[in-house]
Amino acid sequence: MPIQIEHLSHTYLPGSPFSSVAIHDVTLDIQDGEFIGILGHTGSGKTTLAQHLNGLLRPTEGRVVVDGLDITQKGIRLLEVRKKVGLVFQYPEHQLFEETVAKDIAFGPKNMGLDKAEIAERVQEACALVGLPFDQVADRSPFELSGGQMRRVAIAGVLAMRPRVLILDEPTAGLDPAGRRSILDMIRSLHAKGGLTVIMISHNMDDIASLATRLVVMSAGKLVMTGTPREVFGQEELLKSIGLGVPQAAELTHALIAQGFDLPKDLYTLEEVRDHLLRLVGCPSAPKEDQGPGPKEVPAHA
Amino acid sequence: MLKDITLGQYLPGNTLVHRLDPRAKILLTALYIAMVFCVKSPVWYVLPLGYLVLASRTAGLRFRQMLKSVKPLRFLLILTFALNLFFSAGTTVWLQWGVLRITREGFFTALHFSMRLVFLVVGTSVLTLTTSPVSLSDGIEMLLKPLKVIRFPAHELAMMMTIALRFIPTLIEETDKIMKAQMARGADFESGNLLRRVKAMVPLLVPLFVSAFRHAGDLAMAMEARCYHGGEGRTRLRVLRFTPADGYALALTLGFLALVIAGGVLLP
Repeated sequence: MPIQIEHLSHTYLPGSPFSSVAIHDVTLDIQDGEFIGILGHTGSGKTTLAQHLNGLLRPTEGRVVVDGLDITQKGIRLLEVRKKVGLVFQYPEHQLFEETVAKDIAFGPKNMGLDKAEIAERVQEACALVGLPFDQVADRSPFELSGGQMRRVAIAGVLAMRPRVLILDEPTAGLDPAGRRSILDMIRSLHAKGGLTVIMISHNMDDIASLATRLVVMSAGKLVMTGTPREVFGQEELLKSIGLGVPQAAELTHALIAQGFDLPKDLYTLEEVRDHLLRLVGCPSAPKEDQGPGPKEVPAHA
Repeated sequence: MLKDITLGQYLPGNTLVHRLDPRAKILLTALYIAMVFCVKSPVWYVLPLGYLVLASRTAGLRFRQMLKSVKPLRFLLILTFALNLFFSAGTTVWLQWGVLRITREGFFTALHFSMRLVFLVVGTSVLTLTTSPVSLSDGIEMLLKPLKVIRFPAHELAMMMTIALRFIPTLIEETDKIMKAQMARGADFESGNLLRRVKAMVPLLVPLFVSAFRHAGDLAMAMEARCYHGGEGRTRLRVLRFTPADGYALALTLGFLALVIAGGVLLP
């Protein structure tokens, strides 16, 4: 289900003294099965862009085409669009309201007008997708769960609508390292196993580096760069000039090169750096990955 | 959608009117209200009108912005006008239609009272359009301070006002966000009958209350961490000072008020 964004601009409060251009002339094509990372400094227009993709905001100019349907024209049935494009807001746990976890997750499917059996099935499925033990949490109040668990409930609430595109706005903001890692692993498997097209907004380079297949960089409401992570993270100067950085692994690589190590310039994941360093110190082949990607095997101060 | 609401409606600027001391501006507004109430017949509204034109020119306000404040009152206005028009006692009958009749006196009373309402609202909007909410509550606090002798909690009242005003944009933003988040899950806030619409508010109100309490708790903690203990012995970051401009504005307003009173007495 491809999404085309064509010359999209959005101005908040147009015509008033407080009017501000949030995004300006953004054009972007998103294909099925992609994992797009949207990078940008706070206030660069990432969130505004995301809210156009399921019709929550109407563009001032330009249009958005989802699955061949222009969703910016008047009189469109937005519920149909929102079923296809799920949007998880920043701090989604702040939107929980029901008495029980199961009821909260059922909110979306209920709004879609599904029957009881179908709703129950979807709630269970969504719980499994986000790694929540359904039997233990279903009848508890969402407000007594931990922060990380509340966030899973909120994400499950979106997944229960079975969207084909999932947009996540800063899904790891405010989580501890363990919570962050498990949310990222969950997103990874939703993309890999669930076949979802994922669009993830972040200003954390390391989160994005290990997941995205394509990056979109925004600054001051404009799209400044798109490309594979390798292409984008190769532009350290440009990224730094707009208040962003490169993943720690890339920074490490550049520091090592400056020290005289013979490494390629465009490494950006810790696994790559590890493999190259092992080769440098004479270990012919790097050990096979057995615990999945993750920073645990390489000491951060290597 | 909700971002389009301008609450507090302050329009930042740096004109003479913007720079006036907030205490002075509140006093001027009070005098202006007195002036409007002293007008005896519709013709004499030229004086408050002249005063408003002068004030809005100096403040760089467009008339459209000021008239916006009348909009929420339009039903009250129509009602005031209609009631006075049809039910005032009068002798010169213009139109008779069953029990309803329109008299010359009734028409002028209706005109008089609706104009009074419009002038009050538009005039006070000059204050709120040119004074930031924070300096407004500063001004109110200082003006109420003398009432401390009768144990009136001026500082506490002003602090509560400041905090409430400070949180309006935050809560609006939060409402907007929660509304969008629920809409992304298919919530519909706009259609259905009354009962359905009220029910549809639950997914919005519960998270909003939760977040309001969270904000309140955080704020109380932050204030205590900075040793807030009420108004006793508290100094101000921005000390309010009267300037000659405040004096001139006051004199001018008093002049207008005197003219209106004189007009009412001499040429009713």
